[in-house]
Amino acid sequence: MKHLFTAALVSSFALAAPVAPTAAQAEEINVLMFGMPYTVGLAKLADDFEAETGIKANIDVVGQDVFESRITLSFTGGTGDIDVVHTPVIQVQRWIQAGWLQPMTDLVSEETTSDILAGPLGAYDVNGDQWALPFFAGVGLMSYREDLLEAAGAEVPQTWAEMLDVAAKITTDDQAAIALRAVPGQGFNMFIFPMVMRAYGGTFFADYEGGDLTPAINSPENLEALNVYVKLINDYGPAGAGNFNFAEVKAAAENGQVAFTVEGTGIISQLVDPAKSQFADVTGIALPPGGPAGRSPAIGVHGMGIPASAPNPEASARFIEWAVSSETVAKIAMSESFPDFTTASVAQNPEVIAKYAAIHPDFLTMRVAALDLAIGHYRPLIPEWPALGQAIGESVNAAINGLMTPEEALEQADADMRDILGL
Amino acid sequence: MTSHATPRRGATYELQRGYRLMMVPAILAVGIFAIVPLAGMFGLAFSDYHLIRGTNWDFGFQNFAKMLSDKRLMNSIYVMAALSFFGVALQVLIGSAVAVGLQKITGKWRVGRILFLLPYAVPHVAVALIWLSLFTPTLSPINAFFDLFGITVPAFLTSQWGAITAIVIADTWTNFPFAMLIIMAALQGISPDLEEAAAIDGATRVKTFIYITLPLLAPALLMVTLFRFIDSLKHFPMIFVMTKGGPGRSTQATNFYAYVQTFQNSNVAYGAAIAVMLFLMAALISYYVAKLNQRVTT
Amino acid sequence: MIDNSPEFRVKRGIGLTLMLVLLAFAAVPTLWVLILSFRAPMAIFQPIWESPLALTLDNFFKITRSNFPSALMNSFITAGLSTAFAMIVGVPAGFALAKARLSGKFVASWVLLLLRMAPPVGFVIPLFLLYVNAGLIDTYMGLVFAYMTLTLPLVTWSMWNSFAQVPDELIEAAIMDDANLMQAFLLIALPAARPGAVAAAILAFLVAWNDFFYALIITRSGTATAPVAVMNFISYDSVDWASIAVASIALTLPILPLMAIANRYIVQSLSGAVKG
Repeated sequence: MKHLFTAALVSSFALAAPVAPTAAQAEEINVLMFGMPYTVGLAKLADDFEAETGIKANIDVVGQDVFESRITLSFTGGTGDIDVVHTPVIQVQRWIQAGWLQPMTDLVSEETTSDILAGPLGAYDVNGDQWALPFFAGVGLMSYREDLLEAAGAEVPQTWAEMLDVAAKITTDDQAAIALRAVPGQGFNMFIFPMVMRAYGGTFFADYEGGDLTPAINSPENLEALNVYVKLINDYGPAGAGNFNFAEVKAAAENGQVAFTVEGTGIISQLVDPAKSQFADVTGIALPPGGPAGRSPAIGVHGMGIPASAPNPEASARFIEWAVSSETVAKIAMSESFPDFTTASVAQNPEVIAKYAAIHPDFLTMRVAALDLAIGHYRPLIPEWPALGQAIGESVNAAINGLMTPEEALEQADADMRDILGL
Repeated sequence: MTSHATPRRGATYELQRGYRLMMVPAILAVGIFAIVPLAGMFGLAFSDYHLIRGTNWDFGFQNFAKMLSDKRLMNSIYVMAALSFFGVALQVLIGSAVAVGLQKITGKWRVGRILFLLPYAVPHVAVALIWLSLFTPTLSPINAFFDLFGITVPAFLTSQWGAITAIVIADTWTNFPFAMLIIMAALQGISPDLEEAAAIDGATRVKTFIYITLPLLAPALLMVTLFRFIDSLKHFPMIFVMTKGGPGRSTQATNFYAYVQTFQNSNVAYGAAIAVMLFLMAALISYYVAKLNQRVTT
Repeated sequence: MIDNSPEFRVKRGIGLTLMLVLLAFAAVPTLWVLILSFRAPMAIFQPIWESPLALTLDNFFKITRSNFPSALMNSFITAGLSTAFAMIVGVPAGFALAKARLSGKFVASWVLLLLRMAPPVGFVIPLFLLYVNAGLIDTYMGLVFAYMTLTLPLVTWSMWNSFAQVPDELIEAAIMDDANLMQAFLLIALPAARPGAVAAAILAFLVAWNDFFYALIITRSGTATAPVAVMNFISYDSVDWASIAVASIALTLPILPLMAIANRYIVQSLSGAVKG
């Protein structure tokens, strides 16, 4: 026992030594990102950054849930152990409000920002300051099975109303028509459902752009949209569709269980890639359906920001500039499945164009068309959004699964919104 | 309890001091790393700490007052009660059945008991993902198998009771081996003579089990039930991975709801207050476990 | 007793069927994980009887190139050390609690139980701040200390029960013979409670091995444990099912021999503790 004790004591000191405080040194920065093709590709290029600047970058790529918990803790603790942080646009207002980010307006050069798409860049411009630089803009697209459409004698639906008709034609006992995200969450069903909402002219607030943030979730337009969403999932979706998330949607499309999906570019690009999906050669890409109020593809923007507690913002900014530079982004676009870049000049890179045209000829054009149509505040850019999106998503899911009628669900969502906003 | 030997007075004092010294390291270790965060939790619960609304550090009972009129909290307690009750009941039932069954298996087949232990070693996140795929009709091999015979297995995760059932099953799968282990242990502690004596006296097997075995198993069964029950108050990964609290809010158990309040709604103080409530419930139950154990060990 | 009556056979048949059903319940998901781990990406959700040959070893090679193996190593180190420390500190404490004349014993057992039952959501933030100030974030020792809040109450509690089975007379006799308390503990009591000690160590190891929550809070890339690394296979727009299956197997396999060896001891020691 005594020997064991001594051994344990000695080894404990030995272990404590090499992993003592990880606070960033001047020539070392810690980057925390969550897993997506760009971040995976970026992590592999860390040595390039060191070679170029002499700053060592520890790029940590984690799962999204792990990420959420870590940043909440690190930021509330003000630990300064993160120098560059993955900053989704839907979180940026909340983080600014909580005092978790520092502006980078004076830290990044005009040369860098001028090469970034104006829309995604502008989404991070809050109160006249730049809070992050985007690297990713994923948009909503629709994938459809050409063979199944042809067999049913149907055209590619342009509106959600047409989608209901086509879906009715395709659906049989053995074949479902469409898979859509249904599980509650602002990044799950609330990434997809607003496409239907906005197509019917529904909004979250009375007048978002005019500054009137009175909830308008229980409007007749939203009710119509919710009825469509519920009907599509329940009547024309596969068994169990009421609990689908992106993983189940993707699997349903890959296994040929559905004819349509409306999803982010990240998933659509995998469905049309012959290396990844067995139905790729008969899968087409189109814009997501629209409605009386037009077409509003989903958009999700991701960027990189500098935490308020980061001790060396200069080094952080150098890293971000390098990470969104034309050269770095092009390398990642080539090595990973990453067509969602926001660095404009990369779109002119012939190698990149050739690569994605080879996967599917329509992919890049459809993506650009969807980006043009997408509105920046697809999901409202306000600090309370994560809480609001969670609450509304729960109601939408309750309507899908018959726990409430769509009317009741929207009334509930309205009450929750008022509660969260303190109205 | 046997009486303590009392050699010389001084020696007894020395001895008792020795015992106390042996406890000091444990008290220190637990004190620093467990008591401090717990104290912090209680502090937060009485505060107004909110990540985006701003914090004035007003201390009071406001969070607990809010809990009284919070319908979602009531709903979450109801969900938690359902998950705990059915989960624990199934775990104890299946655990006992397997333990009794394995007792009859001897020889080289004993190795087979490892198959029943396997689920206990799978991490909860993986357990949840595995069962999520098994409960998703389009992915599940179970559905595909029954489809071969034209039988359609219903979707579980799209109705409240279906989703609760699914979570209960996943939770039971990974935790019944714990109940099994403890009940196996208790069974071994029961002398076979007793059962044989009863059989000789003409009691049927069922009667022997009910009147002889079961009363002897009772402390173990109660212990397992209470242990599992307290653990079930912490339900989280299954819900988080399998349903995200859905359909609607129908599987948001209290612990999950506290997480939503803390991390999604930024209301750290309110989340802590809910956690305090859970802690007090755990305290109440562990009081009875401790009482029970006291009776058993003395 | 040999019983060959038809009635008995029917009952035995029912019992056997029930056991087989329960075995299926335990084994089907296990089998499913095994299948997933060998499935080629394109066939991952096809029924195995439709494409029985779409199998590959790539999933295993792929995971060796990720950070999962180092996370597995971290799990071993932290679970092992926290078990060792919990034994060093907790076994004497359990002994003392079982044998000392104390008035607060009931409260002590209550506190020990309560400690492993507090809901984590509430104290994440205070715990994290404590660790930041102590410089323990992303260190092995930080995680080991955190695990001790789980393993130490468990070890102390179960050793208390084990030592309670050791007759007081044994200890007293040793002390009468001029042994000091330490000698009585190490040479007399501990060997008598050996099965209990093995069982306690294994259960403590399992608790630390399975932990997700503390590792999530305390570790960063340097010391992340395997259960946290498993979460990293769920990314923004994909779930890497095959890697998750392989990881589950990798997390389960090391436990198996441990369980096989310890099974006997666990049963032996628990049977003492819960005999009634």
